[in-house]
Amino acid sequence: MLKRIYILFGVVICFTACKKEVKPIEISPEQYHASIDKVTEVMIHDIFSPPVASRIYAYPNIAAYEILSQKHENYKSLNGQLHQLTAIPTPEENQTVNYELAALIAHMQLSKSLIFSEERIEAFQDSLYTQWSAVNEEEFNNSKTYALQVVDHIKEWMSKDNYSQTRTFPKFSVNSEDPSRWQPTPPAYMDGIEPHWSKIRPFVIDSSNQFTPTPPPPFSMEEGSDFYKEVKEVYDISNEITQKGDSSEEVAIAKFWDCNPYVSVTRGHLMFATKKITPGAHWIGIVKIAAKKSNSDVMETIYAYTKTSIAIADGFISCWDEKYRSNLIRPETLINQHIDESWEPVLQTPPFPEYTSGHSVVSGAASEALTSIYGDNFAFDDDTEIPYGLPVRSFPSFRKAAEEAAISRMYGGIHYRAAVEVGIKQGRDLGTFIVDNLEMKVDQNVASN
Amino acid sequence: MRFNKAFILFFGLLVLCCCNSKEGSLFSHPKATKTGVTFKNTLTSTDDLNILDYLYFYNGGGVAVGDINNDGLPDIYFTGNQVKNKLYLNKGNLQFEDITEKAGVAGNSEWNTGTVMADVNGDGFLDIYVCAVIGINGFNGFNELFINNGDGTFSEQAAKYGLDLDTYSSNAAFFDFDLDGDLDMYLLNHAVHTENSFGRVNLRYERNYETGDRLLRNDNGKFIDISEEAGIYGGINGYGLGLSIADFNTDGYPDIYVGNDFHEDDYFYLNNGDGTFTESLKNHFGHTTRFSMGNDVADINHDGLPDLISLDMLPEEEVPLKASEGDDNIQTQRIRTEQYGYHYQFTRNMLFVNQPDGKFLETALTSGVAATDWSWSALFADFDQDGEQDLFISNGIPKRPNDLDFIKFVSSDEILKKIDNTKLVDDKALSLMPSGNSHNYVFRGKGKLGFEDLSNAWITKDTLISGATAYADFDLDGDLDLITNNLNEEAKFYINQTNDANNYIKLKFKYSEKNSHGIGTKVYAYVAGKLSYKELQPSRGFQASSEPIIHFGFGQEETIDSLKIIWPNNQFQVLTQVKTNQTLTIQPENTKPVKFKADTRPNNLRFQKLEEKLGLDITHKEDNYIHFNREKLIPYQVSDRGPAVAFEDINNDGKKDFFIGGSKFIANQIYLQQDSLFVRKKMPFVNNDSIKEVTTIAVVDANGDLQNDIILGSGGADFFGNAEALTESYFVASDSTFTKNSFPEIFENTSVIIPYDFDQDGDEDVFVGRQSITAAYGKKPTSQLLENTNGKFKPVQQESFADLGMVTNAVWSDFDGDNQKDLIVVGEWMQPYFFKNTNGKFTPISSPKITGLWQKIAPFDIDGDGDLDYLLGNWGTNSKFKATANAPMKMYVSDFDTNGTSETVVTIQKNNKEYTLATLDDLAGQMVSLRKKFTNYRSFAGKTLLEIFDENQLKKAKILEVNTLESGYLKNNNGEFTFVPFTLELQLAPILEFSIFDFDKDGKVEALAAGNYFGVKPYHGRFDSFPGALISNENEVILGGNLGLDFTQKSIRKLQVFEFNGKFYLLAVFNNEEAQLYQINT
Repeated sequence: MLKRIYILFGVVICFTACKKEVKPIEISPEQYHASIDKVTEVMIHDIFSPPVASRIYAYPNIAAYEILSQKHENYKSLNGQLHQLTAIPTPEENQTVNYELAALIAHMQLSKSLIFSEERIEAFQDSLYTQWSAVNEEEFNNSKTYALQVVDHIKEWMSKDNYSQTRTFPKFSVNSEDPSRWQPTPPAYMDGIEPHWSKIRPFVIDSSNQFTPTPPPPFSMEEGSDFYKEVKEVYDISNEITQKGDSSEEVAIAKFWDCNPYVSVTRGHLMFATKKITPGAHWIGIVKIAAKKSNSDVMETIYAYTKTSIAIADGFISCWDEKYRSNLIRPETLINQHIDESWEPVLQTPPFPEYTSGHSVVSGAASEALTSIYGDNFAFDDDTEIPYGLPVRSFPSFRKAAEEAAISRMYGGIHYRAAVEVGIKQGRDLGTFIVDNLEMKVDQNVASN
Repeated sequence: MRFNKAFILFFGLLVLCCCNSKEGSLFSHPKATKTGVTFKNTLTSTDDLNILDYLYFYNGGGVAVGDINNDGLPDIYFTGNQVKNKLYLNKGNLQFEDITEKAGVAGNSEWNTGTVMADVNGDGFLDIYVCAVIGINGFNGFNELFINNGDGTFSEQAAKYGLDLDTYSSNAAFFDFDLDGDLDMYLLNHAVHTENSFGRVNLRYERNYETGDRLLRNDNGKFIDISEEAGIYGGINGYGLGLSIADFNTDGYPDIYVGNDFHEDDYFYLNNGDGTFTESLKNHFGHTTRFSMGNDVADINHDGLPDLISLDMLPEEEVPLKASEGDDNIQTQRIRTEQYGYHYQFTRNMLFVNQPDGKFLETALTSGVAATDWSWSALFADFDQDGEQDLFISNGIPKRPNDLDFIKFVSSDEILKKIDNTKLVDDKALSLMPSGNSHNYVFRGKGKLGFEDLSNAWITKDTLISGATAYADFDLDGDLDLITNNLNEEAKFYINQTNDANNYIKLKFKYSEKNSHGIGTKVYAYVAGKLSYKELQPSRGFQASSEPIIHFGFGQEETIDSLKIIWPNNQFQVLTQVKTNQTLTIQPENTKPVKFKADTRPNNLRFQKLEEKLGLDITHKEDNYIHFNREKLIPYQVSDRGPAVAFEDINNDGKKDFFIGGSKFIANQIYLQQDSLFVRKKMPFVNNDSIKEVTTIAVVDANGDLQNDIILGSGGADFFGNAEALTESYFVASDSTFTKNSFPEIFENTSVIIPYDFDQDGDEDVFVGRQSITAAYGKKPTSQLLENTNGKFKPVQQESFADLGMVTNAVWSDFDGDNQKDLIVVGEWMQPYFFKNTNGKFTPISSPKITGLWQKIAPFDIDGDGDLDYLLGNWGTNSKFKATANAPMKMYVSDFDTNGTSETVVTIQKNNKEYTLATLDDLAGQMVSLRKKFTNYRSFAGKTLLEIFDENQLKKAKILEVNTLESGYLKNNNGEFTFVPFTLELQLAPILEFSIFDFDKDGKVEALAAGNYFGVKPYHGRFDSFPGALISNENEVILGGNLGLDFTQKSIRKLQVFEFNGKFYLLAVFNNEEAQLYQINT
């Protein structure tokens, strides 16, 4: 008897409890930021080169954007706007799908397939899944099922971007008989990274060579030639700022924007790598800062990430096209050969040709994308590099930040002036093109009211 | 009687063999509690001192053995890094007494390294010299010289002798370099500067106080630094860890070999005899160890020339092999060698076999001693006294700093945020590095360059970290025992149990007052026509000196026919009919001066290299293309197989001319024969064709107009698809010009075109063999038999030849004696194919299923039985490729990642398991999905092929096999062919060419073989050690160093014998190298 009462009591509690739990799953912008951060973290661990990293950011964001933009009339699908992207499947009619949730799941799921150490995303993902299915299992399951359909669709599209084919393309050939030709640099003398990245399908720009920059000054190590002057300038600036010491503003700027995913270090018998985020990841970090400062909702957050990551990805394709067209030798090689055998740049020279500066192009492109979303003169404190032991730097605008990122490469001793100045222009032109040609958020006034 | 002896020998061997099967069968290991030798080099990491702060933290102490009280028993001195040094007096019966305190030899330096016993002051008592690292890591002190007072006590007197050096020293050797009678000293120092970039080679010319090696001349008891004037390098980049003294060039003056760690080249100092040395590494060694550790010298092949082993750190086991940082990639190697000027260096042990012409042939892989993990000391000695030198190698490191997971993942994730802030992180860093405590190795010398790993049998395997090692006859039973100085463990004895199973002789010397033990004395022992040779140099191995004796084993021989003793002053005496199994103390008696010849080879060498080359100033230049950049997983390149060479009449003047094919974009060269020399002639038709890489040339009168026409085979493995540059060029002569004619188009890399009128219709037909398809390596290219009709070539019997495989060479030869030339085709990843010619129709004949990487076939009656045998050039065994009939090497060809391009995965077997040769980085660079499957190196290391790829992936793959890597010959027994491999000395490199000619004018032809090949990744090294060989018959082979041939370090493509104005010449054409012309002396 007593037993029966207990059971009844239990059922009542359960009933009320279950009833209580049938509520929609809420997704916050924070959760999307967390997913992005997780991807960044795994990419650092797995060591992805900057161009490959830009691809890993772009596709999952696009998947999320395509899902969530269905819910918002003032956001337009990218279907037909990005090369070869077709409309994603729509949810089955009788299924209620939480679009925010589906977007986030799609982001995690696609990201997981792109990085190497899946278990690192799985741990993060599984705890969220457990929470969500506890809150509303049906909504979670429906949203997940739908997200996976979209992921398959995006994967199919992604698989045709020539990434897999370019893996087996020839390596960059070192030919030291050509004095202007890039060659591997100390200390690791790594092969040139991604020599065929220009053959990756771009997202928005017509082709990898749409924004071909003006060529660098003609190679000449004759004193007085324009090119020689640029080499000498790198050397002189480097000497000047290193004399001032680590506390100098220029050294601080160089280090802040280093963004080299793999710096090899030798200490005694010991070799190891210091690993940091890529230039693209730094700008993805700035998106987060801007979105949080603007209190962007989930839609606007995903929009900002998507647009910026597309600009970055196309920026790398454009920049790499030029890098392996001009195949220009790095300042470190020339300075060691002609000026000072023992000179070392402030930053470690990254393993690919010099012209144009990847950070300059990508910063130019990303800053234009961000400006189009959050406006010019958007002041922010950039704390992206704090986990890597670097301080906060403050900027009055995205464009000013991009300018500093560009010049940092000269301070770092890894680029000549032309690569920086032409590079940022290349990036801005490309960024502007993307902003002008990509219709994502329509009728901004309405939306912001 | 004779029978009896043989029987005993047989029985003895049988007994030995039985014993070999269980661990510790040759050496026993008495414990410290029994012997009293309790020395333990205990190493304590501190916040200020550990492997992170000091790169040689784990190099260990030293050990020196010698009889300090002249009681006939060898005593032992150990040095410790952080613990005090110890001296143990040998009291007989393997009982030792610690007399350190009484002797006063505990030492005062704070980090001791190598140590040497030598009678520095010439009083007949061994003194002790102790090296130390001073001036870094807060280490104080100086190198100490403990002068033996003759009463069991010692007095430190380094300053008095000028030997109180305070540098980063690791070892020293006392020897009389200037033959003035007293002992001079070489001090080996190690560098510490970080390896941020290679730095210039010329850093070595700028003397650095702490790190530069020193040569100190003994001027009446005072050691004077003469390094600079003597030509000894002393740079900041000399990471000296290995030191060997020996008269390498047998000119009577001791020379020096220095092994340098990291990127700095080893140094090979030849003694000029005038107080100076000339560093000559590149002239004598094709390549060296990269992370050079200890080294040792002995004559391992009974030719009286000292051979050398230099150690490195290549693991034998798959797990550490694939989890550790390996060799450079090919482009980095080019930068290092071509731009920075360093020599070729590879990560594995190297065994260098000294040749009469001064060249060292590197045989470690063929000899089986290449991979012994993190190795410190090598000691040659005849432990089992069978007459062949055996080899003991100590090894181990507490932590592997070259672990790839540590370098790429662990270090970054766990440490780097803190690394600059706190020293505490060091412990954490260390704990994340895997241990490298592999067992010590012992190899039995099998003779003829062969060694057999008996670590499982002769010694008890352990996990000690053993460094400095010395040999001595501790128990006075005549055989050689060993003692190792270990990290954090007691020193270990290896007491030899050979005892009287085999015979020996042990020699001690009483030489002179200033060199009482006769350092530098050489002994040549002749027994039953076999020479054994040793030179007394106690400093050997690593941070150690062994007992100053010379020991030989002689198997069952009871009498030594003669012992020739050459004293350090180059006076000699001979002892005859010396009984074995005794210890002799020899002093100079009735000595005579040695007559040295500048060149120890026969005066009248078969081949005489000419400086004036009859106008044949041919240099082949290979183009810059790296085939591995396009096809990253291929086992070797196909892009460097030129130049093709033809010796035929090109200009139809009745005289044969030379036609040398050019590499891609480099013009062909024609040298026309004229009356007194050859003259280079530019012919427009070939220049216009220079886009192609010419890999084979056939010169025939194709159209019967009595003028020679030319077919140029095209290859190079760079052009791909239907590139016109892949097709053959067919030039038809008309009057004095050539016009291009059509030829069957196949867009593949051609390797061989050989003409023969196979259908006997009066015109020359050709066989065209092809080697590969660019960007589809592993897929079978199309070979063709082309029938000539009025100068037009058309394929016939296509089905027979289309699918042969990766053809490299072919020959028309009547193998069945029916007076019609048949066709034999050889190639890589295939067996030789025999096609019987019956009136122009070809039928395949079964032949031995020896699949190889065949490079060349040549008909030659090697057994002199009147029928034709066939010489076959193959890859050789001095390679990381491994293949036998039971454990073939395999190549899987498939589009593993389904991206439209096929990959090749090459595997070899170890212990019946199949492993890829390629590393995770190599494989995943092509197949990105492997990165997901193996997210770190440890998860990949040790995985078999089946664990790396799934069955479905492998099922789709085409599998090619090699079951034979040896070069050899197909022996013709009444039409049945059996394969006979050549001896080891002909397996040192790929054999690419044979020339059949009566070189010695004895009325019978000989075969001159040549080879070497460099188109492999640095992991495989450089096959540069084949000096060429004259093969007279099955048993008679003379290596190139005895013939006057200069073939080492060059890769042959063509040997052409020709007669010119009554003399015979040999033209040797190499890839990317100047051609050589020899006059053939008869």
